[in-house]
Amino acid sequence: MKNVRVWFEKQGSVRYISHLDLTRCMSRGLKLSGLPVWYTEGFNPRIYMTYAMPLSLGVCGERECMDIRLTEDRPLDQLAEAINAHLPQDLRVLDATEPVDPFESIQWGVYEIQLETQDPDGLEQQLGALLAREEILVLKHTKKGEKEFDIKPDFSSVQWTRENGGLRLSLRLPCSMNGSTNPALLLDALKRYEGAKPYCSITRKQLLTKDFSELR
Amino acid sequence: MMRQDKKLEHALQKVQKPGRYVGGELNAVVKDPSQVEVRFAFCFPDTYEIGMSHLGIKILYSAFNEVPYFWCERVFAPWVDMEEEMRRENIPLYGLESGDPVNQFDFIGFTLQYELSYTNVLNMLELAGIPLRSADRPDLFNIVVGGGPCACNPEPLADFFDIFFLGDGEEVDMEVMELYRQCKKEGKSKTEFLEQAAQIEGVYVPAFYDVSYNPDGTVKEYVPTHGAPKTVKKRVIRDMNKAYYPKDFVVPLIDVVHNRISEEVLRGCIRGCRFCQAGFLYRPYREKSIETIDRQCRDLCHSTGYDEISLSSLSTSDYARLNELIDTLHQWTEGEKVSLSLPSLRVDNFSPQLMERINSVRKSGLTFAPEAGSQRMRDVINKNVTEEELMRTVNVAFTEGWTRIKLYFMIGLPTETMEDVLAIDELGQKVVDAFYQNKEKPKGKGVEVSLSAAAFVPKPFTPFQWFGQDTMETLQEKQYALKGGVHSRKISVSYHGAQTSFLEAVFARGDRRLCVVMEKAREMGLRFDGWDDCFHFDKWMEAFQACGLDPAFYANRHREFDEVFPWDHLDYGVKKEFFIEECKRAYQNMTTPNCREQCSHCGAACYGGGICVEKRASVV
Repeated sequence: MKNVRVWFEKQGSVRYISHLDLTRCMSRGLKLSGLPVWYTEGFNPRIYMTYAMPLSLGVCGERECMDIRLTEDRPLDQLAEAINAHLPQDLRVLDATEPVDPFESIQWGVYEIQLETQDPDGLEQQLGALLAREEILVLKHTKKGEKEFDIKPDFSSVQWTRENGGLRLSLRLPCSMNGSTNPALLLDALKRYEGAKPYCSITRKQLLTKDFSELR
Repeated sequence: MMRQDKKLEHALQKVQKPGRYVGGELNAVVKDPSQVEVRFAFCFPDTYEIGMSHLGIKILYSAFNEVPYFWCERVFAPWVDMEEEMRRENIPLYGLESGDPVNQFDFIGFTLQYELSYTNVLNMLELAGIPLRSADRPDLFNIVVGGGPCACNPEPLADFFDIFFLGDGEEVDMEVMELYRQCKKEGKSKTEFLEQAAQIEGVYVPAFYDVSYNPDGTVKEYVPTHGAPKTVKKRVIRDMNKAYYPKDFVVPLIDVVHNRISEEVLRGCIRGCRFCQAGFLYRPYREKSIETIDRQCRDLCHSTGYDEISLSSLSTSDYARLNELIDTLHQWTEGEKVSLSLPSLRVDNFSPQLMERINSVRKSGLTFAPEAGSQRMRDVINKNVTEEELMRTVNVAFTEGWTRIKLYFMIGLPTETMEDVLAIDELGQKVVDAFYQNKEKPKGKGVEVSLSAAAFVPKPFTPFQWFGQDTMETLQEKQYALKGGVHSRKISVSYHGAQTSFLEAVFARGDRRLCVVMEKAREMGLRFDGWDDCFHFDKWMEAFQACGLDPAFYANRHREFDEVFPWDHLDYGVKKEFFIEECKRAYQNMTTPNCREQCSHCGAACYGGGICVEKRASVV
């Protein structure tokens, strides 16, 4: 039995599907690939897959990963091709590696947010004003109802550039098994404090461990 | 992936389940528009999740796309939140493969599965920016066509469609597309195209029939024009082994209602239940061979990655060599971790042996459809199931460990009395009693019996097509009685839809005058009538009133045998005399043997296929 880390990107139409639907897609792709994947041994055997950090619906992922197990050795450089032949176009396996870091060591997600607007100057001002606040409170839905939550500490790393008439933000957010911050909260805050409702597209570029090194 | 502009992307950010609207699935067919000659928008007038569960669209989608110069795309009804965004942002209805607006397609084809989806048909045309009425589309382009079970009486939609396909679509649809391609090349007009199309068996061009009415509102006669045939005969695929079947299915990205392989094992039904329209429309009964089914299942497993196959049909347990079929499939399905399921079980051929072979049936619940509570009532509807059989079956189920039994019934059936209605409760009680008397029942568990009662809707091409539906008041009385007749906490009763059933009855047996009501309803914003949260009965009544038509005339009026029906010029093989005979037998509580036991000479033998000819061969 061998653990294998499969790296993939989720974009285009596939970004609009939930994590559960993603696992179904992957499972069918793995089944069709003919790879000797290991099945769980429960009453309803299923292909063993464990994902690093599920992506929110609508968010693209440039380098996501999941671990599977192979019951026989296979050259890892041939895995991507074998699986890709059976995946929808916008879900692509990039490569497969031997896992180094456990998923528990993931601490950060690196994101890019593309904001569209008719008025980039205005939006830039609004964004600056928002991030200059002492605290940035947003409403979060919890099991006990709605709760106010200060996202200022999490969003201190935001940087942006002007691009194609809009803004491109890059930021690093907590993203771990103990809890993650959804990048879309920044949009909620922009709406709440500045009344701005720009269209946005969000991409997770990569996952980082505690010491800010790339997950391997 | 389909083309997506900014407007659409913005809309997708705001709606629930955006995965419905983006295409990009495995096995979706994308072609180069400059290389195709005929583009077909296959429209399913309900949500993505419902439409992607439908087998017919899968068969025709693949069949069309197999021809290099045809390109068929899928279109579903946007849910209300998406519709709102589309209207606000001026996004026209589009095909999921290319993202191109539907009004750029040569054919706009609808599958008509259910009367309450008709408003979605009109709403989708409207969202596509296509004129609703056939007469307002003079060019040889945007040809609106329809097929499916409701095409057997398409009159309430007659003014909107150019063509209806009657019967099996696999061949006739493509013949018409081919004809269109030729007419286009030769620069023919739309009328010339339709005149030629009307000569093809299975093609009904409603505009070529003039209808006149009697003073009492009933149909006087249909007069064909433009050389169209006096009666239009449905098309039948004689040999199911030679029928086209896809080697792959589009595999949806999001979960849908039936997210598995459907393998059609047979078409038609031997039973002849008198309430069931499908049982008559799809005659003759035709099975596929074990070899065909086995090969098709393998192909589909290897192209989709699904781990479940549903052996589908109107009544799969009637497949003559079912055990042999399942054994054949098991030779490879178990190794490939694929499970088999049957969509429907009959009370009279449920066995532990069968259940062992079908491992995907969950132990939690079993569903059967006795359809009526009393034996007399079951004889009237020709549901040839006895109480003894039901009791034997539930006892087998209890012994095998099931504790939840769901039973489906209809109320409002012809000749039904309150006694028959209450017999449903009594039957439920007998099932509960059987559980406690069963010595091998699962230990430490109670039994749960749920009784579900739908309101009967009389349909064309059935022996009950003359029957005036119970009024909504009568149906409600029966529902209350049913609810009140239960004296055990182990039994739950549910019933639904006197109002939706009423509307269904209106459109099932309606005529062309209802087209204006459909139009009015669309204008009033009605759609998704089959969904409780979108169904507005009061608005519908307003629409009827505004058009000066009485819905009760269509739903509740009893018809005489000599009345001319709006569907009498459509021929599904089964003769009207047979339905009259069956109707008379029903009122005398007399049953009719199924097709396998004995031929009752319904008329479907004219197609020379399936059980009609097999039986003759065995007699000789």
